[in-house]
Amino acid sequence: MDWPSFFQSLANGILIAGLYAAVTLGLTLVLGVMGIVNFAHGELVMLGAYNTFWLFALLGIDPLLSLAISGVLLFFIGIGIYRFTIRPILKDPPLNQLLLTLGISIFLQNLAMILWKTDSRSVVTSYSGISLHLGIVHIGLTRSMTFLMAVALTILLVLFLYKVRPGRAMRAVSENNTASWLIGINVQRTYLLAFGVASALAGVSGAMVSTIMYTFPMVGFKLSLKAFCILVLGGLGNIPGTLLGSLILGLTESFVGTYVPEGSGWAEGISFILLIIILMIKPTGLAGTRRE
Amino acid sequence: MKQPFSWKRAILLIALVLIMLFYPKLVDSYFLHLTVITFLAMIMASSWDILARTGQVSVGQAGLFGIGAYTAALLYQKVHLHPILGMMAGAGLALIVAIGLGYLTLRLRGIYFSITTIAFAEALSVIWLMTPRLTGGAMGISTPPLFGGNREYAYYLILSILAMVIFVVWLIESSRLNFAFTAIRENEEVANVMGINPTRYKVLAFMISAFFTGFAGGFYSHYNTYIIPYEVFGLAISIACLVMPIFGGLYTIAGPIVGAILIKAIEEYLRVTISYGHQIAYGLILVVVVLFMPEGLIGLWKRRIVPLFYGKARG
Repeated sequence: MDWPSFFQSLANGILIAGLYAAVTLGLTLVLGVMGIVNFAHGELVMLGAYNTFWLFALLGIDPLLSLAISGVLLFFIGIGIYRFTIRPILKDPPLNQLLLTLGISIFLQNLAMILWKTDSRSVVTSYSGISLHLGIVHIGLTRSMTFLMAVALTILLVLFLYKVRPGRAMRAVSENNTASWLIGINVQRTYLLAFGVASALAGVSGAMVSTIMYTFPMVGFKLSLKAFCILVLGGLGNIPGTLLGSLILGLTESFVGTYVPEGSGWAEGISFILLIIILMIKPTGLAGTRRE
Repeated sequence: MKQPFSWKRAILLIALVLIMLFYPKLVDSYFLHLTVITFLAMIMASSWDILARTGQVSVGQAGLFGIGAYTAALLYQKVHLHPILGMMAGAGLALIVAIGLGYLTLRLRGIYFSITTIAFAEALSVIWLMTPRLTGGAMGISTPPLFGGNREYAYYLILSILAMVIFVVWLIESSRLNFAFTAIRENEEVANVMGINPTRYKVLAFMISAFFTGFAGGFYSHYNTYIIPYEVFGLAISIACLVMPIFGGLYTIAGPIVGAILIKAIEEYLRVTISYGHQIAYGLILVVVVLFMPEGLIGLWKRRIVPLFYGKARG
């Protein structure tokens, strides 16, 4: 067996899994707390990526700095989206919430096409080409940075959900929103904050996307599909499941890319295959139980 | 629901049928083309609405459309099958695929179905791009013009398919299926207790929906003479399929038809005005309809406009 290429694929798979996890965490948070699958989440990632690209191209701001700017900007965009579109239909059937977020997604995709054309853009910094050598494995500096950032984001999110009052309120609301309301938690404000935090996560992961892949209007849609697959793999709306699902998708794509002829082309379709397999063998997801 | 026979209705219906039959003699060729495209959209919209009656949202009708389109085009290219038979084959294959996808996902909560359909259309696009020898790949496939380019024949073909779809929707509405579909949509657990097998009815609705969407795809490939994976499996088609009935008004015969006419009109206008991103209108319409007019234009008509003339709400 060709061990160097095996370990190289392993490393690539783990690194890209970090990005997938970062993209999916916000989706998981909104699903877990509010019970809504936000179809527009990928488009929020796309906005974060464009924000980073333009700050870099026009003002020369380093992506590491605009990471934070994207996060804050998307936090407020998220709050606006929640306040004016999602809050009025919280009590509607799930079908309406799905259609509403789908509508926002289509709107933002096409807005991006109108404003910024369909060109693929990339952020190329002075350190983009640097590659690190770890034994027999080569990994790009920006890829490793996005991976570390994803790990940091996950830890921060977990700390937030377990150690800080508003975060603990989110967990309470996700368990039972009526009981949370009875013990004095402001459910509406918790939803607002959860949507804002999820959008901020999308903004930060968008900044990461812009440094390691191309930014184009449909990039959010492509990432959404992967994130949906991860959601189902992990069992809809729990964080350990999301991490596990990201790892499985990242590794499968990477190994298919290496070992299957023309694999990098096929890799785009892997998420669908994984989705079908998991629905056939264990539709409740690999980690956790079904949420009703 | 069944309505009592009335002379007024019968005369209106006969007049409509006569107009539809002589329509090609009344308009110019370009307008006839627009009509054919709009009828195609009506078929896709009504098919989506049939499934929506069970509370399921398909975000991947393009997958079924593309299967129909490529089956028809490939069967013509490889074995010179007659286009209409090719369209039937495409519709049949889409139906078979719907059975498989349906049994896998429709027993779960609705969101699984929506996610799977959206991934399904995208996966087909990947498969097509990666197997160019069999499918023509990114270059697509071309076929000679349908009926030697005779638009009148194409019109009569699509008109008869549209009539079939409307007849099927009418059959569903006036049969016990309507109760089953509505019960499943309103409350699946209760429907189950009442002796309705939700999965079976949802799969049935998906099969009907897939059959006509597949046929529409087959017709499109021959009528347009040229198809590429990006287009026929594209998100744009899936979104159009759901925006039209939602805009017009769900769970009605007229809703998808009105929606298709208006969406096609808006699209024609915007296509000329802005080159990229004219589907921004789809997104806006979805958001506005869900927030402000959940029953679509038909609901708005019944609630707001009709009372202006009759003094009280009808329907």
